[in-house]
Amino acid sequence: MDDYKFLFKVVLVGNAGVGKTCLVRRFTQGLFPPGQGATIGVDFMIKTVEVGNEKVKLQIWDTAGQERFRSITQSYYRSAHALILVYDISCQPTFDCLTDWLREIEEYASCKVLRVLVGNKIDREDREIPTHVGEEFAERHNMYYLETSAKQSDNVERLFMQIAEDLMKQARSRDLPRYNSNHQNINGTTTPISDSSCCSGKFINAIVIFGKPTACIHCS
Amino acid sequence: MCNGCCGCCSAFRPRYKRLVDNIFPVYPQDGLVKSNMEKLTFYSLSSPEKLDRIGEYLYQRAARDIYRKKYGFVIIAMEAMDQLLLACHAPTLNLFVESFLKMVQKLLESTEPELQILATTSFVKFANIEEDTPSYHRRYDFFVSKFSAMCHSGERDEIRDKIRTAGIKGLQAVVRKTVSDDLVENIWESVHMDKIVPSLLFNMQESGFHKKESNNIDVTSEDALDPPMLAETCLRELVGRASFGHIRAVLRPVFKHFDLHTLWVPNDFAIHTFRIIMFSIQAQYSYTVVETLMAHLDDNAKSSATIRTNIAGVLSKIIAIAAGESVGPSVLEIINSLLSHLRDSVRNEASQLEEKQYQEALINALGEFANHLPDYQKIEIMMFIMSKIPFPLVDNHSPADNLLQSILLKSLLKVGTKYQTIHLNTTFPVSFLEPLLRMSLAPDPDMRLLVQKILHTLIDRHNNLEKLSKPTVNIFDLELVLEKSSRPDLIFINKHGPIIYDALYTSLQMDTNTPENIEAVYTTLALLCVELASVETVIDLLQLILGIQSLSLNSTLLSNAQKFNLHAIVISLLALIPTIVSIKPLADYACQIIEQRKQEAPHLLPDLFSHYPTNSEVANKLPHLLIDQMAICEYVKAGGLDPSRLQQTSPYGAGGPGFVTGTQRNSWIESGARGSIIDIQTSEVDSACSSPGVQKKYTDEELTFESMKKVLTEPPEVRKEAEAERRKVLSHTFRTATFSELVRRTQPKHDVLQTKLNEIFNSLNSNENRSPIDEKKAAVPAYEQNFPELFYY
Repeated sequence: MDDYKFLFKVVLVGNAGVGKTCLVRRFTQGLFPPGQGATIGVDFMIKTVEVGNEKVKLQIWDTAGQERFRSITQSYYRSAHALILVYDISCQPTFDCLTDWLREIEEYASCKVLRVLVGNKIDREDREIPTHVGEEFAERHNMYYLETSAKQSDNVERLFMQIAEDLMKQARSRDLPRYNSNHQNINGTTTPISDSSCCSGKFINAIVIFGKPTACIHCS
Repeated sequence: MCNGCCGCCSAFRPRYKRLVDNIFPVYPQDGLVKSNMEKLTFYSLSSPEKLDRIGEYLYQRAARDIYRKKYGFVIIAMEAMDQLLLACHAPTLNLFVESFLKMVQKLLESTEPELQILATTSFVKFANIEEDTPSYHRRYDFFVSKFSAMCHSGERDEIRDKIRTAGIKGLQAVVRKTVSDDLVENIWESVHMDKIVPSLLFNMQESGFHKKESNNIDVTSEDALDPPMLAETCLRELVGRASFGHIRAVLRPVFKHFDLHTLWVPNDFAIHTFRIIMFSIQAQYSYTVVETLMAHLDDNAKSSATIRTNIAGVLSKIIAIAAGESVGPSVLEIINSLLSHLRDSVRNEASQLEEKQYQEALINALGEFANHLPDYQKIEIMMFIMSKIPFPLVDNHSPADNLLQSILLKSLLKVGTKYQTIHLNTTFPVSFLEPLLRMSLAPDPDMRLLVQKILHTLIDRHNNLEKLSKPTVNIFDLELVLEKSSRPDLIFINKHGPIIYDALYTSLQMDTNTPENIEAVYTTLALLCVELASVETVIDLLQLILGIQSLSLNSTLLSNAQKFNLHAIVISLLALIPTIVSIKPLADYACQIIEQRKQEAPHLLPDLFSHYPTNSEVANKLPHLLIDQMAICEYVKAGGLDPSRLQQTSPYGAGGPGFVTGTQRNSWIESGARGSIIDIQTSEVDSACSSPGVQKKYTDEELTFESMKKVLTEPPEVRKEAEAERRKVLSHTFRTATFSELVRRTQPKHDVLQTKLNEIFNSLNSNENRSPIDEKKAAVPAYEQNFPELFYY
């Protein structure tokens, strides 16, 4: 039950109240916590999934959206393998802030991190950002795009599975560049990969880098 | 359960597995089976090569139990691992530690708060063990990340505090584990510090101590497990361990945290935190904190003045702590940077309330800093500030310059008040005194007042300042503290007295003087008199008093009120002087005049006003109420002093030959507003100086006050014309006069040269008798001495 083959770190970012914590809870615990309070600092969850008979462990760091915690959350971007950028499809401002978030990601995260744009809360009636707008934005910024509902558990599983698969595929094809202890620099080579069909969301030429189990105590 | 089903085949299992299995009870609530645990420990001690497998097996069991949510067994497994860790000797631990840490991580990954806390406790135990084999590959980033996340736990009340406490303890353990060992992961990397420091600060700021709202105050703050207290301890430890290269890594996240959480305003928490940092940092680096704080002030140049004010406030609170440690150039660097902040602030926007407060805060910081420096450095600083003050140029100054001047003077005053004068000559090196006196003639009365205040605080050594701040004739009520002045002081005043008196006198001539200005000059004089109570100074002062009196009689620039003010300070000083050096007759004379004035002309006595009743009689019409020079001479003589200097004409104002200290004065007044007076007098002054004997007879009528006034009122073109005329005549003379006449004119110079030469030759001749060769050598030029053969042949 514990012999996983890969360990990936996934970090969720986005404005306060877009449903990052709910997404994580839905995925890791299978529940939708109503009246979830604002996350303080950073929250941590773990989930082991199976991708093609291989066990993949996902360390999910759920960051606070509030501005004041930016200093601590930024420090978590650095070692991430994948970043999930979340916005609320029923709230224009959360979409408008995406460029700011991207700038921050550029600044603090590894430039090769796998980035995923997620429009959350599709269960809501009052949609403000049409799907194609989100899609276009994602395409423009080399991300892949997915719309989810943590409440109705739409696409949540797929989101994380997709990330796991994608990261693993790269981990297989490549022999393991990994996060150096020092910082975000990746000392391996990187390749742009054009990725396969995904039924609704598009994979776009994401530049991805893979790590094998990062905390070395695992692989001693 | 496992035991139960495998009981029969346990004989076929490896021994270590059997031993491990046996430590688990049937029911988890029974706890660890102690006797079996001892067996396991003994086994692992006797065959340490098995230790890593034991660890691995324990870990696997625990992982399975976590999966099955049998937390009781997990806790037992962890306990067993703890005991093994402590029991086994360091060299054999290395591999076991890996499984141990895997176990800890596994527990931390679970969502159960209890397990997380347990894991932290184990980790702390582990951190306290000294390992002697380096573990290059071991990594702690998961632990740092997870513990930091725990510090931010948002669980329900009690659990929240427990998890936070655990998180802080965990961070503390990671720091302890890594900081002492160069070979393991570098904890000072910003990737770690950016997590650790904000987590600690976040917990500290949660405590209620600095908040005013009472509902937030934690009742159990004395509890040792209180997260804020613990976080504080941890921060102290962290900062205390940081070496020079790492300080910035710690400070950067601190600033970022304060910015993001908007903790600068109000700045209680910031002050608290920075105090902690300053007190725990290794003393020799404390200067870095100040430097960084100032750099942060730079970065915030665009933010609101309130934020800057508060940052500067923090600075002023901690700068004193750094002052003790900073030496040499760093001191001036700090001062310089404070001054440049002041300058920027002045340039930015004049006269906004917040900006003013900001400037105040900076000046305070400066004062605080100076306060904790040794005295000799204070003088250096004062000179340094002085050098930064833009001097008042007659036509070329903007309001900003003015403001800057007054702000820098204010900072100078601040530093000055912290300085304790011992010897005047150390306090006032010429390079400081001269610019200061020059500033005392600035066109702006407020600025002049500031300079006087600086003088007051620097001159006053016996706390007489308060008593002498207002002119008064009732000297005995003042209870002045007197001390015989020392030799160096007297030398000082003999040397610099003239320029000081002169500057004061000149500043009294300004028609922009307010009563405060005049009072301030009085205070300066009175303080000088008290501090330098000696016969010589008294005569000088009396001379000056007479000068001031005649100024008030003759000046056409000053208003009547100003003249009355002058009379008032003159009589106050006159009353003061004889009590300081005890000249009874003079004191009586002063009393007599005071009495008369009280009856006939109270407006000639203190206090000073800016408006007097219109019927106040001008002093010129009341000659019997004035101080008489001859009378003073006599009384001084009767007091046993030599009045000869007094009898000579005063160097001040009307009746005197102008400015005795012409050259000095020249140097510092020229850039002042009244430079024009001096220009034309230089020649006379020079000659007067070089021949003191003729001073008295010299051209009295030419340099009356009237003539000076004329010079002032005369348009400069007239003077220029005269000058040009003179030059023309001169060149004409040289062109047209006969050679012999020119020779005659320039003769005296030759004479001097001739006599000198004669002297030299004479002295040479006296050597002649001793040795002709010597003489010869002495006569030959240097190049011939070096090559004598050239000379001989």
